[in-house]
Amino acid sequence: MRRADGEIILLWTLPVLAVIWISAFFLFPGFVHPMSPSMTAQQVADFYRNPANLDRIRYSMILFNWFGVGLVPIMTLIVMQIRRMAHRTPIMSYCLLGCIAGGPTVFLIADLFWLLATFQPSQPPELTQLFNDLGWMFFTTAVPFLIGQSLIIALAIYLDNPRHPVFRRWVAYFNIAVAAALVPAAFTGLALSGPLAWNGLLSFWLKNIAIAVWIIVMSVVLGRNVYRQRAEADTGPVAEEAVAA
Amino acid sequence: MTGEAVTELAAPAGPPKRLGGIAWHWRNNPKRELWFAWYSMIIFYNIFVIVFFIMTKTQPPAYPYMPDAQVVSWFGGHRGGLLIGFGIVFATAALTLPSTALIAYSIRRMSVSRAFAYSYLVIYSLSALPGMLLLCVVLSVAAMRPSRDPALIHWLFNFAFLSYVGTMGIFLIGSLVWMLAILLDKNRVLPKWFGYLNLCNALTEVVVSPAWIFHQGVLDWNGLISWWINMVVFGVYTSAFMMLLRTMIQREDFGDGPLPDLPKAPKKAPKAQPATLSSTAQ
Repeated sequence: MRRADGEIILLWTLPVLAVIWISAFFLFPGFVHPMSPSMTAQQVADFYRNPANLDRIRYSMILFNWFGVGLVPIMTLIVMQIRRMAHRTPIMSYCLLGCIAGGPTVFLIADLFWLLATFQPSQPPELTQLFNDLGWMFFTTAVPFLIGQSLIIALAIYLDNPRHPVFRRWVAYFNIAVAAALVPAAFTGLALSGPLAWNGLLSFWLKNIAIAVWIIVMSVVLGRNVYRQRAEADTGPVAEEAVAA
Repeated sequence: MTGEAVTELAAPAGPPKRLGGIAWHWRNNPKRELWFAWYSMIIFYNIFVIVFFIMTKTQPPAYPYMPDAQVVSWFGGHRGGLLIGFGIVFATAALTLPSTALIAYSIRRMSVSRAFAYSYLVIYSLSALPGMLLLCVVLSVAAMRPSRDPALIHWLFNFAFLSYVGTMGIFLIGSLVWMLAILLDKNRVLPKWFGYLNLCNALTEVVVSPAWIFHQGVLDWNGLISWWINMVVFGVYTSAFMMLLRTMIQREDFGDGPLPDLPKAPKKAPKAQPATLSSTAQ
């Protein structure tokens, strides 16, 4: 029996993190009404120079900077579940381990550029626009690792023993749907307005709602497994001792 | 299932050749996880060549020493190719991970400490970021707003190509870790000559460093030494490990001793085999 002590603590960091993430999301004035890529350099500079926005941008991005990486331990719990699956090799858990640092890292780069845009609001508007563009583009195109982790989880479930599955089949289909919902955001550079633009229906709303739903659903199925595994572990040692005796 | 039985069943199977064969292997092949990783690697490098060499024309890289106006016109020439090509990269870049996982698995199969496999996995997991994603995002930012100040477009251009050509440590240390594991290995997972080829790949990361200093000549970021020799070595190295990993999967017996050789003259796969395999694989 693999040791699972402490997994419950890691699991329950998620609701705390989620509250912080949601607060930071609504604190950043650029997300509530997502900033349009068709804004002129002057409009972008004015947005960052506006005293009502400036502090909110800084504090929200500092919060994200602190707590965005908090997703990694949660993802690692999913890796632990994949290790329990009836696979012949560790290939799937290696793939997922490789994936999980990617999303937060790319998000961190976006975060840095948004903070850079606020650091010297008096800088030339073209420079503020450049930092804003880099922030939004890193944020919106940060999908490769998220698409990857969804598809890897789906494949891992498919390759598991269907008679004693760690996750049920619908979790695999759900992950494939989430991966598909994230694909349009990859092409956001093609449009400055419309659904593909970084503030558009596909690249902003569909992508971010898919990520939020993914976090909620996966944490529920993960939580059920962690608790079930713990309950099994509690009865396990007794049986083992009996055998040893 | 014994190791012997696996070899006997899996060796003649090999990679799928026909559509029906693919479906069958997908369900029953005991090595399907390894083949998934191998095919992902092949698909990834094909996408890489199509996007970087053909669609975006970022390979070979543009000249490093151009006036602002020429840099702007470089973007103007293939704006659509850049944005669609990089969109494809953003959608598919995670295909690098099964490839890294497979290489980490090859090291895990060797008679060396797991530390080598984990080091390789960690080092290469984020390699896609400096290895291509920075370039893709930064050039997309430059291409999406052609009206931007030419000096800023030039800055993005330098950022993109220097991050791409001039990020060296991941590939340097990663290759050396793999090399050391191969040279120490007693399980004959990969041939020793490939260990030394890793050293060649690592050395290309040393000769590319002058790209940070020179603006013209053989040592600049698209120069004969910094780019062309680098790319030839990388091409030979990548083709070599694709073939060697394929053979490794065919030889894999899921044991932890020396990897058995492939039979000299493999027999044709008997038609009745699926029945035997499905009973063991399911």
